[in-house]
Amino acid sequence: METETCIDSMDFRVQELLKEARLECSSALTKLVDDTVSAIKSAIDKIPEDLQVTADWAPGFVRDIGADKAEFKFKKPKSIEIGGSYSIGCIAKPDVNVDLLLRLPKECFHEKDYLNYRYHAKRCLYLCVIKKHLKSSSSIQKVEWSALQNEARKPVLVVYPAANLGEVPGLFIRIIPTATSLFDLSKLNMKRNNVRALNAGDDPQPTPIYNCSILEDMYLEEKSNFVKKTFSGWKELGEALILLKVWARLRSSIYVHDCLNGFLISIIVSYLVAKNKINRDMMPMGIFRATLKFIETHPLWKHGLYFPMSDQNASSKGNEQLNSSTRFNVAFRISSVAYPELQDEVALTLRCLEKCRDGGFEEIFTTKIDNAAKYDYCVRLNLKGNSEVYSLGFCLDEECWRVYEQDVHSLLNQGLTDRAKFIRVIWRNTYSDFNVENGLSALDSEPLFVGISVSSVEKAFRVVDIGPNAEKKDEALMFRKFWGEKAELRRFQDGKIAESTVWESKQGTRHLILKRIIEFLLGRHLSLSKKDIVPVVDQLDFCLLHDGKDLVSHSVKLLGTFEELSKRLRSIEDVPLKISSVQPLDSAFRFTSVFPPEPHPLANKKVDVARLHNLTPFCVQSLEVMIQACYYFLEGSGNWPMDDVLIEKTKSVFLLKIAESLQDNWGITCTATEEDVDVFMDGYAFRLRILHERGLSLVNNEIGGDQMKRVSSADKMLFVRSQHASMINGLQFRYPIFGPVVRLAKRWLASHLFSACLAEEAAELLVAYLFLKPLPFNVPCSRITGFLRFLRLLAEHDWAFSPLVVDINGDLSQNDEKEIDDNFTQNRKAYEENTQNESKAMFLATAYDKASEAWTRCSPNPLELKRLAAYARSSASLLTKLILQNQTDSRGWECLLRTPLSLYDAVILLHGDRLPYPKRLLFTSELDQGIFLGGKGRHVAHGNASTCFHPFLLPSDMKGSSLEQLKTKLMVNFDPLRCFVGDVEKGFSNRLKLWYDSLGGDAIGLTWERSKKREREEEETSGKYPVDLLRNIGELGKGFVRDVYLLKAPRFSS
Amino acid sequence: MNKKTSKDKANAVCVAEAAQMTENLVATKQGKKKDKLSKKKRKSKEKINASVGIVDKPVDGNEVHLQEKFRKDRKRKSKGQLLETSKGANQDEVYEIPSGDDDCSKGMKKWLTDYHRSRPGLKVLQQRIDEFIIEQEAKLERERKEKEARLTEGGWILVEHHKGRKKTTDTESGTTVGSVSQTAVEEKLAKKKSKEVFDFYRFQKREAQRSELMILQSKFEQDKKRIQQLRAARKFRPY
Repeated sequence: METETCIDSMDFRVQELLKEARLECSSALTKLVDDTVSAIKSAIDKIPEDLQVTADWAPGFVRDIGADKAEFKFKKPKSIEIGGSYSIGCIAKPDVNVDLLLRLPKECFHEKDYLNYRYHAKRCLYLCVIKKHLKSSSSIQKVEWSALQNEARKPVLVVYPAANLGEVPGLFIRIIPTATSLFDLSKLNMKRNNVRALNAGDDPQPTPIYNCSILEDMYLEEKSNFVKKTFSGWKELGEALILLKVWARLRSSIYVHDCLNGFLISIIVSYLVAKNKINRDMMPMGIFRATLKFIETHPLWKHGLYFPMSDQNASSKGNEQLNSSTRFNVAFRISSVAYPELQDEVALTLRCLEKCRDGGFEEIFTTKIDNAAKYDYCVRLNLKGNSEVYSLGFCLDEECWRVYEQDVHSLLNQGLTDRAKFIRVIWRNTYSDFNVENGLSALDSEPLFVGISVSSVEKAFRVVDIGPNAEKKDEALMFRKFWGEKAELRRFQDGKIAESTVWESKQGTRHLILKRIIEFLLGRHLSLSKKDIVPVVDQLDFCLLHDGKDLVSHSVKLLGTFEELSKRLRSIEDVPLKISSVQPLDSAFRFTSVFPPEPHPLANKKVDVARLHNLTPFCVQSLEVMIQACYYFLEGSGNWPMDDVLIEKTKSVFLLKIAESLQDNWGITCTATEEDVDVFMDGYAFRLRILHERGLSLVNNEIGGDQMKRVSSADKMLFVRSQHASMINGLQFRYPIFGPVVRLAKRWLASHLFSACLAEEAAELLVAYLFLKPLPFNVPCSRITGFLRFLRLLAEHDWAFSPLVVDINGDLSQNDEKEIDDNFTQNRKAYEENTQNESKAMFLATAYDKASEAWTRCSPNPLELKRLAAYARSSASLLTKLILQNQTDSRGWECLLRTPLSLYDAVILLHGDRLPYPKRLLFTSELDQGIFLGGKGRHVAHGNASTCFHPFLLPSDMKGSSLEQLKTKLMVNFDPLRCFVGDVEKGFSNRLKLWYDSLGGDAIGLTWERSKKREREEEETSGKYPVDLLRNIGELGKGFVRDVYLLKAPRFSS
Repeated sequence: MNKKTSKDKANAVCVAEAAQMTENLVATKQGKKKDKLSKKKRKSKEKINASVGIVDKPVDGNEVHLQEKFRKDRKRKSKGQLLETSKGANQDEVYEIPSGDDDCSKGMKKWLTDYHRSRPGLKVLQQRIDEFIIEQEAKLERERKEKEARLTEGGWILVEHHKGRKKTTDTESGTTVGSVSQTAVEEKLAKKKSKEVFDFYRFQKREAQRSELMILQSKFEQDKKRIQQLRAARKFRPY
């Protein structure tokens, strides 16, 4: 008992993870591997000795790597041994493969075969021979080509056994040739030239990478034995290795050919053991942490990991540079670009260990950090068939694809200057049907990926780049050469005259600057056409546009008008109250509204009727603002009524007085109902609300039952909303990209008919969380990345077991957090005891709302949340695919916002042209005919459009009516959808649930609620239950409902 | 146990839905194009529906049997539903909803009239609210009086709280009695509380320790439960 409680939850989870990830070597597996290996051995044994092998076995390959001689007589391999992770029992699922090291016989090689790719050619031909003979073996299903760490000049064979083991699907064996003691090590010194084709004039250039490529094979067995020796009989070390592998695999930016791989990690760990950095007392997590610390900081590492290990000779060259001695840098594949990236990733992980909930287990070991979610800007270059790539030959010192990666990187690095923090260029070259015999030209089929992490949004959005001073002739010339026609000489405010580039762009399109720079540079220097460059930047912008414009650009004017209004309100004197402050409530004021209102030409004091265009909308969105005031005659007298209804009425009286005053003093048009007062000013309609201050003081000290009851809920809600508005507004200024991400998130939620499930404030908080607690990522700096992470948060957060704490101002104390935790546990306990009590499935806590009372108290309920998460998951995976792989068409992107209507029990389609803002409709919904052909659904009703409402002012409306009359025709916040939904819910809320898009969709989904059996049976006996019900619903929406379809009849509740 | 399986089922349904959704995401692609053709289609849909109705009639006899199945078998549900619908002849037709331009009780026309009716102008509103408040206050007053009357009937006298300025001096002695503001009291109380020493006695200390341990233990229990759940949801699988 005692010891059990001591295990902290991190260790517990790590153990669980290891159980899941570690491949246990069952006897069946061992047998399968042993059988296959012996089958391979016997197949190789059958190859006739002294078989003459010529370049004809793989003419394409030999030609493309440029080997001059490649002929030998086949001899049997010196040894065939299992190496790699299988030999040390550290295979991490799901990639299960066994490495088979095959030592090439010395007799097949000449002493000088390290020259001019002769070794590589023979190595490949040797494998060709083996491949041919393996095919005939019965216990082998198929043999494929792959390449060692994406290095095409070093192919390996991948053998799939014929037998299939259920526990390890897709098991394969890799045959990796080794070249132990084939060549004289000193000849492969880093400074030597071994590829004669590479020379500058007569001067042969050193070929360090080429040399390393051979050295790697020569040391492979030794390294493998070293690892084997270190790991044998040390359980914790093996477990740590699996953890490290899991960790690295989740991070696709560092688990690639120019950074880490599983074998390298095991060598690093062994190295640390040899250097006494890891000792036998350490737990797996301790070893994990020690290894990361080493990678992050240690100077040894900076110069490379040399093999064989002797006393280190400190060479101060960079990591990718190779030591002058023939000692071999095991980490030679880690490029100078990848290394800082790796360090950054490690630093983030270490921070997770310190800062995150539960020791950061989820952030470190279960969150996928793929390139789509990590990088702010992703660009795909389609280089298929681009002969420029290998114009100089496929392989010189390095392979052409690696050279091209470097070219793209240095080009972008130079062009983007400090806009980018990291630029990563990765080009995967092998694919499943890779066929070595045909040569290397087909390896460009996958697009090249460029990922850019932005240093800060301000820098990325910068319009002018200042280059060198005009006086510095050489530099200026270089600048001009680099930028071509984009470079211009400019005189700046401080009198400086300098070369510069200007990326003029409108407000709201600044995020496209980076895209333009990239397209320009790649076009200019690598002559890529625009259609081959696919930057993922603006593909989702279409859903935020209204009539082709982003309405956020009006927001500045809106804020100005609001200022003016609040000034006027505060100066009101002929009303028995003194307005002390006016606060914005609507999301348009904090730049997070998908469609902030456009100034309406009629909601103005002076209207130029002639300028009214044809498509002037009939409706005006109102914007709520909150008034705080002192009341002269009521002050302190306790004369405020205690009754909720009376309080609201009294407020209305005040508001009407205020409206009258505004009308009399400023000529502002006002319109009011018993609940709301709307004020027209400069094209906007403001809806006024009063906060009852005495209620507020009670809200502040939430002591308990009695007093809380006295606070009218309307006041509490107003207070919470104003708190939310001001906090989010502050956040929005800290993170300029926050607004667009929220808008995308809201649009997505609405498009999938979740408007009723998740309050817009809740969506804002979810997105805020991404910015406040970005780990294991950095803060998102582009809208698409932010949006993707939003979807993943929604899909992956463990809603049932953990509250989402959104600490907007970073001022939650430990006590606060504890309070939140307590609230959460209480809530969940209550839920467990009484499953009927379906509240707060999504627990969102903030400084102003520690019990998640404000936004998610009633919705989403657990079922809705499940649906939300499922939708988010499928959208997230689609979006990831779109970013990383898909083609260029916009269709796929639209699919992110098209919701499948077949997932509802019934569907109601509306007349799109009777919506108040028809232009916000993304796609006209239509039910797929396939559903009907399957006999599943049926068309229940069809409705005609009403003629008494049009979303736009008609010429007949404008003719012959005075301005005042026209003004009265304007409708504030009129929304037929809301009216319809309200009517239906009033009538049928116990039988069905509506799913709709409040931002302007024309489809309503309908699902049946499980109702009581008896009720249902009654209706059942009347025989036409669902159809008649749906027709009644259609009747409620006369003139607005276009079609009603029934897809699934209601089920009995069990 | 039972509960768990049902949950799993729900999970499976969810996943299936999601998968289906992606398919459908692709399937609904052509929505825009269809818009133009929608009128033609509508007619053809009607035809399809009509023919479905005819085919279904002979099956009618099986109804009871099918309804049994309908309960158990989700896939069969569509059949059962078709049966229901084939009862009335007019059920198969697409019902035509009138535009309702002359009907103020439902639909668009109703919403419009409601909208305009709710905005009679500031003056009228003011009057209405005033009337409402006066009436409400009168009502409250009436209720109060009634209550009072009822109470006095039983021989009780209602002692009423006096409104107006609080007396701060005793009328007879002249000493200041003084009322203290609520916040001041609360503050004082809060201060007092913080001064209290909780671990004065040893048993208090022990108790505190024990309760802390209990909290920890319960937290651990919870953690364990959570991990079980997570395991069930395959949360530990890093791939």
